[in-house]
Amino acid sequence: MTVPVSRPWSVGLALTLGILMALVPGHAFASDATGDFEPSSSELVESPAEFDGETIIFTGEVIGEMMTRGDMAWLHLNDDGYRDRNIEEGAPLGGYNSGMAVWIPSGAVPGITHFGDHAHEGDVVRVSGTFNAACPEHGGDMDIHASSLEVVTPGRKVDDPVSPVKVVWAIVLSMVALAAFLADRLRARVEDTKGV
Amino acid sequence: MLLRPRREDHLIIGKYTGKIVIGIGFLMVGPLLTSVVFGEWDTVVDFVISISLCMAFGYGTQAVCRTDRDLGWSHGLVVASSSWLVATVIGAMPHWLSGHMGSYLDAMFDVMSGYTTTGLYLMQDLDHIAHGLNMWRHLLTFAGGQGIVVIALTFLFKGAAGAYTVYVGEGKDERLLPNVVQTARAIWLVSLVWLAIGAAALAIAGLALGQDPVRAVLHGLWVYMGAWSTGGFAPQSYNTLYYHSLAYELIAIVVMIAGSFNFALHWAVWTGNRREIRRNVETVSFAITLTLLVLVATFALAKAGVYSDAMVLFRRVFYQLASGHTTTGFSTIYSRAFVTQWGPIGMLATTIAMAIGASACSTAGGIKGIRIGVIAKAFLQDIRKWVSPEHALITERYHHIRDITLSDGLVRSAMTITIAYVLLYALMTLAGVLYGYDFADAVFEGVSAASNTGLSCGVTAPSMPEGLKALYIFAMWLGRLEFMSVFVLGGYAVSLVRGRR
Repeated sequence: MTVPVSRPWSVGLALTLGILMALVPGHAFASDATGDFEPSSSELVESPAEFDGETIIFTGEVIGEMMTRGDMAWLHLNDDGYRDRNIEEGAPLGGYNSGMAVWIPSGAVPGITHFGDHAHEGDVVRVSGTFNAACPEHGGDMDIHASSLEVVTPGRKVDDPVSPVKVVWAIVLSMVALAAFLADRLRARVEDTKGV
Repeated sequence: MLLRPRREDHLIIGKYTGKIVIGIGFLMVGPLLTSVVFGEWDTVVDFVISISLCMAFGYGTQAVCRTDRDLGWSHGLVVASSSWLVATVIGAMPHWLSGHMGSYLDAMFDVMSGYTTTGLYLMQDLDHIAHGLNMWRHLLTFAGGQGIVVIALTFLFKGAAGAYTVYVGEGKDERLLPNVVQTARAIWLVSLVWLAIGAAALAIAGLALGQDPVRAVLHGLWVYMGAWSTGGFAPQSYNTLYYHSLAYELIAIVVMIAGSFNFALHWAVWTGNRREIRRNVETVSFAITLTLLVLVATFALAKAGVYSDAMVLFRRVFYQLASGHTTTGFSTIYSRAFVTQWGPIGMLATTIAMAIGASACSTAGGIKGIRIGVIAKAFLQDIRKWVSPEHALITERYHHIRDITLSDGLVRSAMTITIAYVLLYALMTLAGVLYGYDFADAVFEGVSAASNTGLSCGVTAPSMPEGLKALYIFAMWLGRLEFMSVFVLGGYAVSLVRGRR
């Protein structure tokens, strides 16, 4: 059966369906202007088969270090709640870390200045490449073989100031511990003396 | 008849619990120094607070509970179970002060998980935590693997004759040497030699993989601690997937399998009896069940076509299964991949591996190979009896350091603990299902917690129900101490109220 396109209600229906398809996360996950998917790490882990072999764009904070292996390198990009600010900087608790491993030519990694750890918020970078649900080249790792990388936001050193309230508690409790130690030694000495 | 404990009983329990908490305080000095070296001053203050609390509690309790009486059996068991609880409550302080935990319950979850060498965690933003806190996470799981009582025995008990009861209460019952303190020191000797070799091998591998020297050494040490203790904690949220290296995986497998062996087996090999590795009922049982489960999981995953290459498939399956069977909990796949890629049969094989666990008197959890071996031998003995003439005398033996003739008492004891584990697994599964999780997920995670493994399929998360967190803490504690000392602590609590004077 064909629907006559000249009828106004059918145009409205088509428009409504089009809007709904764009809004409802059914088949499609977010994609950019070039048509490449831009899934989150959670989406990749939850639906690995759906993205296997697809070219995707992935954005995340570079964590740990770059592990260079010959002309290639491993990077780990976290796209979790701490991508832009971590807990040491006062970010609210946002669950576990989550991210994706990226295999990239080391020459395609232009000056990453900071890798995320306790003392640093890592650079946020965007990579484009092929997603592998179980990469045969890397022993079945779930990874992205990237061909390009761009720094979106440079990282920074993180200040983790000492809380004055904690310092007061530390002093008070140290004194209590010292008192308990002395009390224990004193009782031991008294008992030894009595024993003699 | 239940007797109400006397004042002297409370004093003995208080005195030795205090000693163990002092031991925990000393243990925190390592992470404190790590934070000093890396200039993590806020974390330094966290550890000063925590150490002070341990010392205040420990010395305060010792000062109040002065007695010359030695530990009896029930005292030892109560000290073992209660000290693990107190050590968890106080040991959670650095986690909580770090700001990375959702609540104090979450902090206690992580610390109990560490002591019991489980490896499940609720810490948030792990990839940004301080080196000092990472050192504490791994040190407490390493110490837990040895047994926190073993630590106290080594340094603080000064040869109390009743110390053996506390040692047994912690789930260890092998005397490597005539004296229990010497036994505790022998356990340390074995572990420290393995530490030197294992951590060095991992650090060298890390350097070769592109880590900078400081990170390679720290990661080598921490991954060793996670592997040897069969704890499964790792310094990055990616766990051992972070390293993308077959060599790293192989070293980790060797260390975690070694860690899962009985300390008596280590000591036998140490003293020249290398044949023990091939003859021991626990290693034989482990080899058989691991092989069978790897075959099942490999078949299931090959059928599902998750991994395209046979070697890749074997590498993935063997690593996760060895990790599950040794109750380590290291993983080279994402937690949710158990559900989204491995499917029900892969999860079932892993669950059975975790449920069985590894050797008794090791750092591992689960039912233990020796019990599976004893039950299997008893089963064979019964079959032989049925097919033999009525008056034939059928005896069955197994080898564990020496040849042991199977007796009804041994079989009953093995069955009792096995049934207790199965009931605990069932209870944790039921709890998971009642909280709304899928049955397969609930079984997997419940068994993982109760067998002190730490593999997760995604149930354990900071957002999980508080009640389930508390139940998993209980399961980890009960599973690690192998029930008896926890039951005695329960009896002690009841006798306080209902016991006769």
